[in-house]
Amino acid sequence: MTLKRNGVLCAALVVAVFALVAAGCGGDSGGGAPEALPSSACTGIEYKGDGDPDYIVASDFPLQGSSRTQTEQIVAAIRYELDQRDWKAGDYNIGFQSCDDATAQAGKWDSGKCSSNANAYAGNDKVIGVIGTFNSGCAAIEIPVLNQAPDGGIPMVSPANTYPCLTVNLPGGCDSTEPDKYYPSGSRNYVRVVAHDAYQGAAVAEFMQSKGIKSVYILNDKEAYGLGVATTVRNASQSLGIKVAGFEAWDPKATSYTSQFQKIKASGADAVFLGGLIDENGAQVIKDKVAVLGPNDGAVKLLAPDGFTTQATIDESGTASAGMYMSVAGVPIDQFKGAALEFIDGLQAGPIQGKAIDPYAIYGGQAAQILFDAIANSDGTREDVIKKLFETNVTDGLLGTFKIDENGDPEEASGAVVGFTIYVATDELKTETTVSPKPETVAAAGGQ
Amino acid sequence: MSGIAERAKELRGNRNAWLVPAVIALGVVYPFIEDGLSNLPVIGDFMPTTGTLVVMIAFTMMAVGLNIVVGYCGLLDLGYVAFYAVGAYTAGWLASQHFEQVTFHFGSSVDNDQVGIHVTMWVVLIFAGLLTMLAGILIGLPTLRLRGDYLAIVTLGFGEIIPQVVRNGDSFGGFNLTNGTFGIAPIDAVGFPVLSSIGFFPENFQTSDNRERWYYLIAFLLLLFTIFCSVRLRDSRLGRAWIAIREDETAAAAMGVPLMRTKTWSYALGAFFGGVAGAYYASFKSGAFPADFYFNISVFLLCMVILGGMGSIWGVTVGGMILAYLNFSGLSTIGSKIQDAGLDFDPTKYQFGIYGIIIVLMMLFRPAGLIPERRHKIELEEGVHDTPFYDVQTEGTLTDRDRSND
Amino acid sequence: MRETLDRALRTLRNPKLVNGIGLALVALVGVWLLINFIKGPEEFVNVALDGLTRGSIYGVVALGYTLVYGILQLINFAHGDVFSLSGLVASTMLLSVIGLDGSSSNLAVVGGIVITLAVTVPLFAVVNATIERVAYRPLRGASRLTPLITAVGMSFIVSNVSLALYGVDYESGSELIPQGAAFTIGDIRVTWKLVVALAIITPALVVLSWFVGYTRQGKAMRAVSQDTEASAMMGINVNRTISVTFFIAGSLAAVAGLVFLLEYNIRYDTGFELGLIAFTAAVLGGIGNLAGAVLGALVIGFVQSFNEGLTWFAPGGDWTRSIVFGILIAVLVFRPEGILGEQTPEGA
Repeated sequence: MTLKRNGVLCAALVVAVFALVAAGCGGDSGGGAPEALPSSACTGIEYKGDGDPDYIVASDFPLQGSSRTQTEQIVAAIRYELDQRDWKAGDYNIGFQSCDDATAQAGKWDSGKCSSNANAYAGNDKVIGVIGTFNSGCAAIEIPVLNQAPDGGIPMVSPANTYPCLTVNLPGGCDSTEPDKYYPSGSRNYVRVVAHDAYQGAAVAEFMQSKGIKSVYILNDKEAYGLGVATTVRNASQSLGIKVAGFEAWDPKATSYTSQFQKIKASGADAVFLGGLIDENGAQVIKDKVAVLGPNDGAVKLLAPDGFTTQATIDESGTASAGMYMSVAGVPIDQFKGAALEFIDGLQAGPIQGKAIDPYAIYGGQAAQILFDAIANSDGTREDVIKKLFETNVTDGLLGTFKIDENGDPEEASGAVVGFTIYVATDELKTETTVSPKPETVAAAGGQ
Repeated sequence: MSGIAERAKELRGNRNAWLVPAVIALGVVYPFIEDGLSNLPVIGDFMPTTGTLVVMIAFTMMAVGLNIVVGYCGLLDLGYVAFYAVGAYTAGWLASQHFEQVTFHFGSSVDNDQVGIHVTMWVVLIFAGLLTMLAGILIGLPTLRLRGDYLAIVTLGFGEIIPQVVRNGDSFGGFNLTNGTFGIAPIDAVGFPVLSSIGFFPENFQTSDNRERWYYLIAFLLLLFTIFCSVRLRDSRLGRAWIAIREDETAAAAMGVPLMRTKTWSYALGAFFGGVAGAYYASFKSGAFPADFYFNISVFLLCMVILGGMGSIWGVTVGGMILAYLNFSGLSTIGSKIQDAGLDFDPTKYQFGIYGIIIVLMMLFRPAGLIPERRHKIELEEGVHDTPFYDVQTEGTLTDRDRSND
Repeated sequence: MRETLDRALRTLRNPKLVNGIGLALVALVGVWLLINFIKGPEEFVNVALDGLTRGSIYGVVALGYTLVYGILQLINFAHGDVFSLSGLVASTMLLSVIGLDGSSSNLAVVGGIVITLAVTVPLFAVVNATIERVAYRPLRGASRLTPLITAVGMSFIVSNVSLALYGVDYESGSELIPQGAAFTIGDIRVTWKLVVALAIITPALVVLSWFVGYTRQGKAMRAVSQDTEASAMMGINVNRTISVTFFIAGSLAAVAGLVFLLEYNIRYDTGFELGLIAFTAAVLGGIGNLAGAVLGALVIGFVQSFNEGLTWFAPGGDWTRSIVFGILIAVLVFRPEGILGEQTPEGA
């Protein structure tokens, strides 16, 4: 009996091996309407032009959890941009799918979702470009997969990733294998329209110097983004002569940070910097800071990067957030001008229906524009789109004037893309000042 | 005892004789007919993609591994995710650029100038299994003398500690073991290092045109292998000792079953498959991240075992495929249908609540699972009288049961 | 392989070795604490007071675990989630129904707390007893793993009820109580947090110990936890006694939920993590032993705070969880009966 059953299994194994042989023979049919990306992560193909779309552009953002207010506006901006172009990039008809890299339970991006999304793009030969991601950790997963996709890799444009080591190897903070390990094929396929965190670190450090801060205690959440920005703040502070009294992690799952702030109190720091996101129990951290070290406009200041720069920070931490400084890339939202102002008005009149515009919507629009322009100028192959992306040269675009350098970062920039706004928390985000960090501070923030 | 086992096996063999090859045949052709299936009206949207199937199979393999611990040996393990983590990180250590201090290549398809250890995934899979086995033994040695719920708690403790150790493991005295929350990525793809010279077999799945299909077919073979091993283990001397311990530890010890050694083996072998599946899945998704290994995954796997039927291999396989399908594609498809119908309800948000309901309902009304283990069924039918919810149809002894009931 | 394994097993079971390792560990911790105390006595005391604040809340939750375990030998995983749901409901009561905010007068806040307790305590007592009635009672008599697995399932159900009602956002009532120090002695700050926590928790513990020690129902509970069958023969209504136990555990969860809400942030999954910590505390103190649960909870609270707040060779906040669960494993392996517990067959 056992023998027979084993025989069945063995026969099945043989069948399976034959199937393996057959696996290579399956080919995809060319032409016609493109096949959609899986509905478990993405919307159906959206296309409002004539005929069938030639290619798909996908966006990849966390559409659940507290980043949602920002990412939904980015997606709206991409749709708006496509509407402006009649769903065409040059001669090519472009269909759009919006994919989600977050899970509802976690309320934030999920590595499994990022990976399965990236592989879905790589497995679909009609995907000509991806706009995303929002979180640097997710980008680190997706870039290598898209980099190795057939036909030269899939071009990827991010409006929001600020982790420096995705594109450059900064001596202070990157592994020696970064960023090359994200590009296994040996050529680049990723660009971003946002300045990396060496700039934000430098901006924060210069702001601290202007406030007369002598010694800063830096906390981080250990994630790519939080640790990255905390590291650049540390480097930049040291170069400006601000003492770094401590550099350690906070555990987002902890109940209370009172004891940790006792330790910070003992260190004598006159400022605390939080490298991380408000989602990571940030409100409790802020409250415990105030409970132990006093109000933020008192002896010990509190600073945080763009992971905290939303109204949610103030709503969740109540009066404790008062006087806390928060930075974000770009000029204050009411100071955008020219093309950006037009874009904002169009967006508010249409897709987002009068809601307050989020700065990231403009970054999203800019990312979409350079991708569509690159597709329009290309011969329709992924390889050529990537080539054209790296030749991007924007004059007076949504974010001002900039070029994309060989690493995929904006360079020779002027306008919104290089400035940082520092907000101070009252019952809303109030503009405190704007900072354009000096090149030498930026270099120091990167450990150069 | 052995008479019953033989007869049970015989009956099972008869009933499943056509089913097994049919399922295998379907499994093999699925990726080739997936396109057609997904175009079917109504049910087309519910068809999992080949990529989803790879993930489903990886988790089902883990469930089959967990079944050895929970189902055969009766040891409640609430920290099985730890083994998944060990497997995934082994793949990260042995097949990525993580250890940039060294450059070692063995049968791998990546460029020879890449730093780090790059061993072909086939060896990595075996290694991951063995290392996970070792982890199982190390966790088991001090803890397995505890009984029942205390053991569950200890395993839960390990399941909570390991993610944090992984998270903080970017600097053990300055040595970067796990790369912290960044995780280890990218991890090398599976490929055929030698066969590829013939031309047909891809050297590297990641860059091949049929990545998902190749990954799926290898995953399918691994699952078959896992099930085969699981069947053979159950019917072995060791397997019978496990079941004896599950049924009555004291009696088993009195009959000369060495408790500790037998339990440790169940831990080690159960862990083995978790490690292999973890490593394979890590290669498929090309990364290992501490955020993947949280308690919910352990419960998710446990739920697969319970839904299918503790100790029942086919049950666990079916239960695993069902739940993994729901988790990785079904619920979101259902959710989008519900939202298309205009209702604002997202079932993926409540996935673990749904698993909780499944666990409680199964425990209350069908504790033996969807496809009960034969032995378990016999035992239930024999009468557990103090549980009124059990579906007792015939009362009898092991010897006077009617064959037609099967 | 086999011989090595057996030898390793034998070595691990050697009681002298086990006790030796345990004592050495305790001594090391003692030395570490002493050095830290000498280096900064005020800081040390401040950190310890924070530990006391946390530990007192853990204690109330731990009591819920230990009560149920004492009587049913069941780890009621759902307890932590009942705790966080109760905290969330308390936030609705305090902030929305009663409408308190940071500017409310002290009297209004005290009144609001009393009213909230009057609602949430009976409510969650009933919820907890209902969970027992629906999910655990039908399984009485089944193997011990069956209700345990059911409890894990219940835990997910209750936390998803919280998720459905309150979403993933944090709720907090910490605006209602003053954030600063109630009084200071030198550099030592006794915070309002601590005062409020003790002011609510102490009466609850007094009532509990009176109930368990002196009432008829309390005596029945103790009898059932010692020997269910014998108590049934003596005419004790076992089912009712078990219901009462869950009732009390639920009330304690509601008290803890309110205190937690007043001091920290709470959301749907807070109870899972906190429940595990509280369970660890119950095991550390000796599961089934009420005083042990409180003692264990205080120890865990101190361990967490010392680890995060001391400056000399403290591993720091990102190791807290590992340390707490490491303690759990160490206790179960080295001394399963806990600090105050009696020898149980589990350790055999």
